[in-house]
Amino acid sequence: MKGKRLLLGLMMTASAAASAWAQEAKDITVVLDEEVDLVESCMATRSNIGRIILQNVSETLTELDVRNNKGLMPRLAEKWEEASPGTWRFHLRKDAKFSDGSAFDAGDVKHSIERAMSDKISCESPRYFGDTKLETKVVDDNTIDITATPAQPILPLLMTLVTIVPAETPIEFTREPIGTGPYKLTEWKAGQSITLTRRDDYWGSAPEVTKATYVFRADPSVRAAMVAAGEADIAPLISELDANDPEMDFSYPNSETFYMRLDHSIPPLNDKRVRQALNMALDRDAFIGTLLPKGAIKATAIVPPTTLGWNPDVKVAPYDPEGAKKLLAEAKADGVPVETPITIVGRTNNFPNVVEVLEAAQQMFEEVGFKTKLQMYEVAEFEKQYSKPYPEGRGPLLVAAQHDNARGDPVFSMYFKYDSNGRQSGIANPEVDKMIAEATAATGEARAADWKKLIAYLHDDVVADVLLFHMVGYARVNPRIDFTPTIATNSQLQLSEIRFK
Amino acid sequence: MGKKMMRRIVSSFFSLVALVVMVFFLSRLTGDPAALFLPIDATQEMLDQFRELHGLNDPLIQQFGRYVWDVLHLDFGDSIRKARPAIDVVLESFTWTLQLALITIALVTALAITIGSVAAFRPGGLFDRFVSLVSLIGASAPDFWIAIVGIVVFSITLGWVPTSGTGTVWHWILPVAVLFIRPFGLILQVVRGSMLTAFGSAYVKTARAKGVGNRSIIFVHTLRNAMLPVITVIGDQAAAMLNGAVVVETIFGFPGVGKLMIDSILQRDFNVILAAIMVTALAIFVMNLLIDIAYTLLDPRLRT
Repeated sequence: MKGKRLLLGLMMTASAAASAWAQEAKDITVVLDEEVDLVESCMATRSNIGRIILQNVSETLTELDVRNNKGLMPRLAEKWEEASPGTWRFHLRKDAKFSDGSAFDAGDVKHSIERAMSDKISCESPRYFGDTKLETKVVDDNTIDITATPAQPILPLLMTLVTIVPAETPIEFTREPIGTGPYKLTEWKAGQSITLTRRDDYWGSAPEVTKATYVFRADPSVRAAMVAAGEADIAPLISELDANDPEMDFSYPNSETFYMRLDHSIPPLNDKRVRQALNMALDRDAFIGTLLPKGAIKATAIVPPTTLGWNPDVKVAPYDPEGAKKLLAEAKADGVPVETPITIVGRTNNFPNVVEVLEAAQQMFEEVGFKTKLQMYEVAEFEKQYSKPYPEGRGPLLVAAQHDNARGDPVFSMYFKYDSNGRQSGIANPEVDKMIAEATAATGEARAADWKKLIAYLHDDVVADVLLFHMVGYARVNPRIDFTPTIATNSQLQLSEIRFK
Repeated sequence: MGKKMMRRIVSSFFSLVALVVMVFFLSRLTGDPAALFLPIDATQEMLDQFRELHGLNDPLIQQFGRYVWDVLHLDFGDSIRKARPAIDVVLESFTWTLQLALITIALVTALAITIGSVAAFRPGGLFDRFVSLVSLIGASAPDFWIAIVGIVVFSITLGWVPTSGTGTVWHWILPVAVLFIRPFGLILQVVRGSMLTAFGSAYVKTARAKGVGNRSIIFVHTLRNAMLPVITVIGDQAAAMLNGAVVVETIFGFPGVGKLMIDSILQRDFNVILAAIMVTALAIFVMNLLIDIAYTLLDPRLRT
């Protein structure tokens, strides 16, 4: 009897404790897949950091709206115009304040840009600017001119990638980010959690979420379990296997495009018919819903469909093994060494089932007459095959990789992937180089048209690579929350977009 | 005994130095941290800048000399990934691991010794067979499976304990339970075997003949003599826990040193790897000293 009472008592205490680790009404817990090492504003374009601070703590001058498809929107800049060729004038908000109480002005913008581009600190931002140099000139407290050399017609878009910090912020990584966003970092328990608390003095409308606690769990089933048990409200990344509750689980395009980069400098991949045969050998539909999630979309460009200039007229190569065999026979008759073994290079743990996907692709290639072998590498070794300088004495390679572009413009992909000097380009085509340069320099509708033309040219005329799928991710959201993940969820999670049911 | 301890301290110091030298150079063979810290499409300029900032362009021997000099001044360098002193990062994690290891090993020791001793008293009896079965299952079941099943049953289905994390006493129950099972099974088997041998000895027979009670035979006469092999196994298990319980830390989001070490190796955060190795090696060295002391206390023959 005594034992039973004790057991009952323990169970009641456990139940009472369970309510203690449940959520307060307007507080939420977000469970992320990896602990953040830094909470540094100039690293906010890194997805694990961005999900915590981007637009929550640290804001940018402009913002790309993908939720409502409104395109480029004002944030800390109210408006902007091209003041002279290469120079953009940004008119800043007058009512914004940093969480340390200091006022936001043009001096802060100047310092933020200089800090992000400084060689004294390894920020992420310079990767998006390449060789472009930025100069800033403060016109007055609320106006700043930014000059890009060479001229950058998408400078306002690039400003979505530079977070603004106070002018006093030192040029070294900080653990206490100060921003103008609707939240401030109030607690960081290393290895355990990070807490953001809503600011009362935010310039914009007050978000519903009062406090957000970010915790880190490496195992996807634990992340899913936490939301199921009511301990967390959002798990932005769970595995497809764990996404088994239609009430809570969402699939969303994760902005990654899976493709095989072809090295056009080495036979037989220098022959267009061989490249076409590779594309026609693959039964892409067979992968979807089997080895890859149901929501995966067949790709016709290296950028996802939400990107400027995406071309709906470009069609996926048909699955036509007989046609592929015929093309190979034609090439062989013309002396192309089609029997040369081709190495498929993959990256271990790139995404779930990557090995199985590549093995299936290898099988399909072999069925039409290609000789292939599959080689998987861990990330650093893979990088040597993926980026220039490519290994000397290499044979023909198909490098299977994922490319992430949720930035809204192909400029973040096209130079790297297709320009003759692009670091991960497999082609050297002067016409493509010219088209990239033209599209990069264009603005407005002309820009969209130029990218559209380039996407079609690369796919249909050059047959640059084997484009495979726009990938999807899975998120679990507690039913008390009104939040639908979008392509942006891969890189940021704006708390102001979260409502309660 | 004092001389023996001193010899142990000196040899452990040289082992530690050799370990640090080896890890310093071997970890450099894994590659360039810049390639992992910076994005895959980082420009050559960014890569060069990063290497310059972190002194990675200097010759290896110069990097080593600088490291030794800094360590002699108690500066273990900064974590490349976390931009803060490596030793702070390691000590924070190690505190969690130490707590987890101490709680678990204390529970394991107390329960395995008690239950193992009682089971060995009537070998082949119902209690002994039940305990053997349970301990064998415990010793052979994979940690990650027990952890996930534990979460599904006790957190999601019953809602008794949180799935993971830290913060309350309740958060410790599942991680400690999962970490407990394997060493408990193992140590219990060792206790049982050792006690069985001791029960067959002449001094136990004599005690029985003199009418000494069962409790006294087990806990006063036999246990002390049966403890030497048990202490060795407890030491091994404790050393493994002090190195971090990677599976438990990963699944339950416990910020211990095991996961930190694995992450640091994968991310080539050299200073954190070295600091973690020094701290855990020191802890294991202290634990070995304690085991030596325990041996000496239990066996008077070792005091000379």
